[in-house]
Amino acid sequence: MTDKKEYRGSIHQRQKDLMLAWYGQLDQAALTGTPPTVSMMISGNCVELLEGFGAVPLYPEINALQLAIRHQSLDPILAAEDLGYAADNCAYVKADIGCLLKGITPTDGKLPTPTLILCNFVGCNTYLKWFEHLAKFQRVPLYVIDVPFMRTDEPSRSDLDYVVNQLNETVKRLEQLTGRKFDYDRFRQAVECSSRTEGLWSQIKHLARRSPSPFDAYFDAITLMGPLYVYRAKPEGVEFFEAALAELEAKADAHKGVYEQEHFRLVMEGPPPYPYFRTFRDMFAKWQACAVASTYSTVGGLWEFGFRHDPDHPFESVAMHMIAQNVTNRNLLQRYEQIRRYVEDWDADGVIIHFVKSCRLFSAGQGDMRDYFTKQLGVPTLYVESDLEDPRYFAEAQTKNRIDAFFESLEHTKATASIRRKV
Amino acid sequence: MALFERMWDMCSELHFPSVREWKRAHPDGRAIAYFPVYTPVELIHAAGMFPVGLAGAGDRLDIQHADARFGSFICSIVKTTLEMALTGHLEPFDGFLFSSICDSARNLCFVLKRNFPGMYVDFLHLPHNPSSPAATQFLVEEYRRILAELERLGNCRVRDDTLHRSIALYNHNRALIRELYDLRTRNPEQVPTWQLYQLIRAGNFMPVEEHTAQLQEALVQFRAGGTKQRDSIRIVVEGSFCEQPPLPLIRLIEDAGCYIVDDDFVIGQSWFDSDVPREGDPLWALATSYMDHAVCSSVRHDFRKPRWEELVAKVRRSQADAVLFLVAKFCEPAYFDYVPYRQELERAGIPHLQLEFEEKSFTFDRLRMEVETFVESLVFD
Amino acid sequence: MRIVAGVDVGSTQTKAVIMSDNGGLQIIARALVDTGANVQRAAERAFDTCCRQAALHTSDVGFIVGTGYGRYKIAFGNTQMTEITCHAKGASFLCPGTRTVIDMGGQDSKAISVGPKGEVLDFVMNDKCAAGTGRFLANSAEVMGITLDEVGPLSLQAKHPVKIATVCTVFVESDILSYLAQGKTAEDILGGVHIAIAKRTLSLARRLNIEPEITMTGGVARNKGMVQALEEVIGRKMQVSPDAQFIGAIGAALFALEKLDQSFEFGIWRGEHAASGGH
Repeated sequence: MTDKKEYRGSIHQRQKDLMLAWYGQLDQAALTGTPPTVSMMISGNCVELLEGFGAVPLYPEINALQLAIRHQSLDPILAAEDLGYAADNCAYVKADIGCLLKGITPTDGKLPTPTLILCNFVGCNTYLKWFEHLAKFQRVPLYVIDVPFMRTDEPSRSDLDYVVNQLNETVKRLEQLTGRKFDYDRFRQAVECSSRTEGLWSQIKHLARRSPSPFDAYFDAITLMGPLYVYRAKPEGVEFFEAALAELEAKADAHKGVYEQEHFRLVMEGPPPYPYFRTFRDMFAKWQACAVASTYSTVGGLWEFGFRHDPDHPFESVAMHMIAQNVTNRNLLQRYEQIRRYVEDWDADGVIIHFVKSCRLFSAGQGDMRDYFTKQLGVPTLYVESDLEDPRYFAEAQTKNRIDAFFESLEHTKATASIRRKV
Repeated sequence: MALFERMWDMCSELHFPSVREWKRAHPDGRAIAYFPVYTPVELIHAAGMFPVGLAGAGDRLDIQHADARFGSFICSIVKTTLEMALTGHLEPFDGFLFSSICDSARNLCFVLKRNFPGMYVDFLHLPHNPSSPAATQFLVEEYRRILAELERLGNCRVRDDTLHRSIALYNHNRALIRELYDLRTRNPEQVPTWQLYQLIRAGNFMPVEEHTAQLQEALVQFRAGGTKQRDSIRIVVEGSFCEQPPLPLIRLIEDAGCYIVDDDFVIGQSWFDSDVPREGDPLWALATSYMDHAVCSSVRHDFRKPRWEELVAKVRRSQADAVLFLVAKFCEPAYFDYVPYRQELERAGIPHLQLEFEEKSFTFDRLRMEVETFVESLVFD
Repeated sequence: MRIVAGVDVGSTQTKAVIMSDNGGLQIIARALVDTGANVQRAAERAFDTCCRQAALHTSDVGFIVGTGYGRYKIAFGNTQMTEITCHAKGASFLCPGTRTVIDMGGQDSKAISVGPKGEVLDFVMNDKCAAGTGRFLANSAEVMGITLDEVGPLSLQAKHPVKIATVCTVFVESDILSYLAQGKTAEDILGGVHIAIAKRTLSLARRLNIEPEITMTGGVARNKGMVQALEEVIGRKMQVSPDAQFIGAIGAALFALEKLDQSFEFGIWRGEHAASGGH
């Protein structure tokens, strides 16, 4: 296989530098106790709030996925299972807690014990248990921001008020714990940075509507997501995404796609199998199939449909983002609608549903999703199963067969139909 | 006992004869099904509707359709509930209420919504941050929202005094359940759990007034019962029960030499540790009761008092010798809670055993052996 | 002199032993029969065979304890104990110093934490699937077209055991076929399969405190390849008794002796289901 199947512009290196710098800050915090750090969940994260304290986010999910990508996730998972976690508990949690038990980190640096464990509960019930356990093991105060689930089309006034109230309570907690006064102006500026970063990210996502798409909106987007969660509310984040957009726009203008030829355009649903990230990607690269949109890249926030943080209403817009503008707190039917929009507006040939054993939020009911797309909308859909963190649950031969069969059939369909089906 | 067989038949019937009968007697009436664990049934009752608690189809329904919608690693109750819906068994119901207990159950809510667009399907967000002063107000608004939907569905208006009456009825029902549980803790030989369980669970399918009458009758019967004492060990059964254990499993636990002196089998029915106040704003009363007087459960998060400490307190209160964790296969909340529970029990020196079950099991040799081994290990020290 | 018996009715075979304490505790007779369809008959045959071996009348035996899955069908038994409790006891007797028992059978596997008197401190059994059991081996053998007896010896000759990542016995079949197509040797494939099973078993056992000495019991203990793979993965030598098959029956007999001793009371009430032989 040629190495043209991976996007490797200068932005890739810059992304690595930023993430290393972040880990460096965490290492510093571990050694010196400053700056304060706050553990948080990626989905619907309120990193802007932390800027008001000069606090650095700590993301256990990023630790977990880093371990898996580096093929180091099995040992900590086993350590957690020794403690009593079940085979069917989310492997992200097991890997993270296992690291704590074994005193290892994905990089060579140390990770600090956070000042506050802030559970932004946005739909994922596992988040609650995970952070509850971390707080118990690390003996760190826990605060849960209970974000009402999207059970109606739009959040209600009551939903917003509840979250804004809790954000204010979080501020008070952090003031007590850090001994620092909340800097409202810095917070506003952070919200403003976010709105700019989001605009750039949204433009990048929209670049994938072109044919060929200049990047893979699943595999490459995941790589770009790190800076989005750590640096979204900082000027470095804005710079990074400005550079990323420029580079990708140039690629798009030059009609340069991810592969020699873009044979298939896909929408990907579900997290990737991180322990087999490269292997999984190769299975699609073989067919020159490029993802033009993905739901997983919207866990931290859904910005391609117009939402932006608003510096004039900082608390409210942070609350709105947490309630309504991230895929995890949106209900299953809203996810169907999101994917349908991608298929139509991003002009995709099919949908790939990757069921992961660990994550019931994403995976429970994906069979119904397949039913909706194939039977109701007539969109070719493939369903494959593995796990996002545990290397023991990947059947390579079987997965490859299914993917090959899907594309063979899709190839045949495209050859016999001259017009792409509109939904 | 005939009383309990009647109860069990009611629990087992997949065509819901009690619901159909009620609808025949109330031609404009609506029946609202609710998924475990807790639902504010007073709201449904006050709207003149019949609240019915669903608890899966056990081993009585083969899964033919639901597997295609929900993949592997998902608990049975989600699948059997969907199977019931897809095979027309839920036809007598006009609405379906879910709440924020776990990810699988929540996704089921929306799968049903899509597949049954004519039905009223709703999701109740019960707060997970009771330490926030804003949580109670939020819950009041959430109850108001659900009530408004019920009013719309039933074309009625629910007044405060109607709500107060419903609250009173359910208070009485819950108080009797508490009394039965207390009796069992003090004199377990008088209250076999396999009988008590059928009685409590039948409350899911009966109008509350009828169920209360049955509870009263049962209380008299149990008190009069003079079964002789056995040398059994006293255990607490803990399982975050949304999916229910098969009745033979409960029997075999008792047969293996255990008195179940406390359990959380159908905990939604005795969710409050005291009466819901009958003064003032009824929605506010229900909400504050949820926040401050609800029992401990793996699906409710209250970080003011850790659940693992509550479990040890429960063991001490009921003077139990050990804890049996009965976990439904693939039940994530229960799996998670097991870790801190186990640590705390070990610290407190309380023996415990963890077993997995499925509602659709119909052979129990393995489980029987494991429970017996556990009892043997405690007795033959 | 006291004479006691233990009868272990397993799903495929029924074992019985008679023990006496005449000049030291010892096994004076043992028998092994196929269980077949009639559990009660199998138990009787095994017990009768033992009595004839020891030249005893059945009434000479002071106390009989039944165990195994068919324990409630042993009508002539005085009481019954589970096979886990009996395995712990038996393993302690045959392999002194036993603190952990790993039992791998055809359909299930278990790990038992054992105290100094052979008492069960804690135990775990495999959940949902067959991954740590003999079934995994049987499936793999079938896919490769070799007999179950050959798998162990072949695995010992592996030079470069293949990596088996999956835990599912069904999926491993495709992996094996894939490796065969790649030209890997049967020895290397079986080496990999044995290691995968050992890791899975260790994973199960590690939910207890694994303490030495570790004794392996159950049908799979006869597979030297499995014993070696387990020792490699655990990082310790294990004890395997040549009497491994009789461990359950021996443990039952030892409990019978304790009962005869009156050193503790059988205070457990087992309900009407027990008396009628179960469901």
